[in-house]
Amino acid sequence: MIFWEIAKRNIRIHILRSTLAMLGIVIGVIAIASMGILGNSLVLTVSDSLKTVGDSVIVTPHAGGTMRGFGGGTGGPSSLSITEQDFEQIKRASAPNIAIPVLQTSDRMKLGVGSDEIVATIYGLNPEDVPDLLKLKEGGYSRGNSGVLVGSTFAKDNNVKVGSRIAIGTEGNKGTLRVTGIIEERGMAFDVSTDSAIVVTKDWFDQSYNRNDYDKVVVKVKNLDDLPAVKSAIENQMNKRDKVVDVVDTRKTMETIFSAFGQITTFVSAIGGISMLVAGVSILNIMMMSVTERIKEIGIMRSIGAQRKEVMSMFLYEALILGVVGSLIGGFMSLLGGYVISSVMLQSTKYLFVPSSMIHIIYGMSFGIVISLICGIYPAWRAANLNPIDALRHE
Amino acid sequence: MDEQPVMVFKDVVKVYPLPSGDVTALDGVCFKVDRGEFISIMGPSGSGKSTLLNLMGCLDTPTSGDIYISGTRTVDMSDKELTELRRDRIGFIFQYFNLFPLLNIIENVTFPMMLKSQKAVDPEKARAMLRSVQLEDSLFTHTPTEVSGGQQQRVAIARALINDPDILLLDEPTGNLDSKTGAGIMELMSELNRKGTTIIMVTHDLNIAAYSKRTIRIADGRIVE
Repeated sequence: MIFWEIAKRNIRIHILRSTLAMLGIVIGVIAIASMGILGNSLVLTVSDSLKTVGDSVIVTPHAGGTMRGFGGGTGGPSSLSITEQDFEQIKRASAPNIAIPVLQTSDRMKLGVGSDEIVATIYGLNPEDVPDLLKLKEGGYSRGNSGVLVGSTFAKDNNVKVGSRIAIGTEGNKGTLRVTGIIEERGMAFDVSTDSAIVVTKDWFDQSYNRNDYDKVVVKVKNLDDLPAVKSAIENQMNKRDKVVDVVDTRKTMETIFSAFGQITTFVSAIGGISMLVAGVSILNIMMMSVTERIKEIGIMRSIGAQRKEVMSMFLYEALILGVVGSLIGGFMSLLGGYVISSVMLQSTKYLFVPSSMIHIIYGMSFGIVISLICGIYPAWRAANLNPIDALRHE
Repeated sequence: MDEQPVMVFKDVVKVYPLPSGDVTALDGVCFKVDRGEFISIMGPSGSGKSTLLNLMGCLDTPTSGDIYISGTRTVDMSDKELTELRRDRIGFIFQYFNLFPLLNIIENVTFPMMLKSQKAVDPEKARAMLRSVQLEDSLFTHTPTEVSGGQQQRVAIARALINDPDILLLDEPTGNLDSKTGAGIMELMSELNRKGTTIIMVTHDLNIAAYSKRTIRIADGRIVE
């Protein structure tokens, strides 16, 4: 169509100002898309760290509750803990899902002759529960009380391998255990954060720390849709009279976290959107200039039979071309921008090319095109509604 | 044979309301133009020539009275209908040629065809039209600024004729040309008129008006002879 051709040629002969107008759109798209990609990468990074615990209900003693016979536990006799009897009730309430009791403390340990003592978290688990909770990347699960599993970061930082020995306690007074396996990286976790910890058997833990109760219970829920029901069942069972346990649905917690990240992403993208609005004003300005310069041409077109809508389309095409070209360039540059920002801020670009990141480029480009069109509407309307006689007389 | 007048003005009045008071540009103008006529409209500055030309070209509407173009009453037409009328039945030729600088010569001539057909058109008719106004083929792909004033006016004539209009309206067609080139253009207009084109021309120049067969003189918004 001839009006499309005229719009293209007008942009071409005013290439400098058209480029400057497009530059605004390019910057706007980069701002929106890059911020979106960064936010999404952040969500995915956290999501990856938490995904292994999204199927759990975590039961811990209520921090502000009555002691109700709780005693012993982490760090000393005054700490809150869950008794064997409580655990049995939790187990019944959450059946047929698996309830895993967890013991936890911190202690000194030595990793070889001549090495310095370090302090690390120690988890105590029933050997039969370990495969339900932890996956190994190397070695095997401990069968006897003399075996220990170590977290991947712990192993890496301390150069620990399968077969290495760890002396636990001051001067190894709690005994020496042999590493039977290295646990897969789990990242941040609501249940057990094993990356920088070691996992011993419950029996060894009980004997070494004189414990007969638990610090928390992790319920692995087979069907994720049952998470709220399991949470309610445990709460109803345990908190009948007083609130004695806190029950956390990890999926709900994750949803809250993701929602917060989503809001942050939206906020930073909105800041990027402001630059797009500025670009839109630039398009509006350039389109108004274009109309003013071509008033006589518009008059000629109208006098020889161009309809108002055809004149309008010519200017809208111009705005559309500026928007589409600017958005395409901006979209491409956003990939580079997203790459740089992800590399610098997250030290990883593995989430750059996933659909949920790419969609932010589509959002940015769509916004660029829509803003260009919206900002082209008024100049186009003004051109279309010029009086042909006045337009013809215009010098 | 169609004996219906190409254009009829009946008691046409045009008043411009201005803050300082209404200005009557045309006051009860009546005339008709038959098919095949070649008419000059002459008069001093401010006499109402341009207003008359605007009304004849359906670029403006009268305050009162009736205007008929090829039997169609134009007074109550919408902007869209008037635009279609201009596109299909009226050809405009301006003093300053008014070609589109972004389009080459062939595109300038096919422009009204595309407006009419709403799609891409065969440029062969435009080429034939340009040849009929004695423009060399080698200039067809040039832009208007690359050819002389006389050549630009020939392109404007070809553009005005491309949709086979009933009337050709000329506004000082030689006003921006030297006398020799202007004479060439007027010879071309006479030739077109001999072939049956109806021409109405506004001019100050008596020598140019001499090419027409009838002259309408206008003064103070009224036809005086």
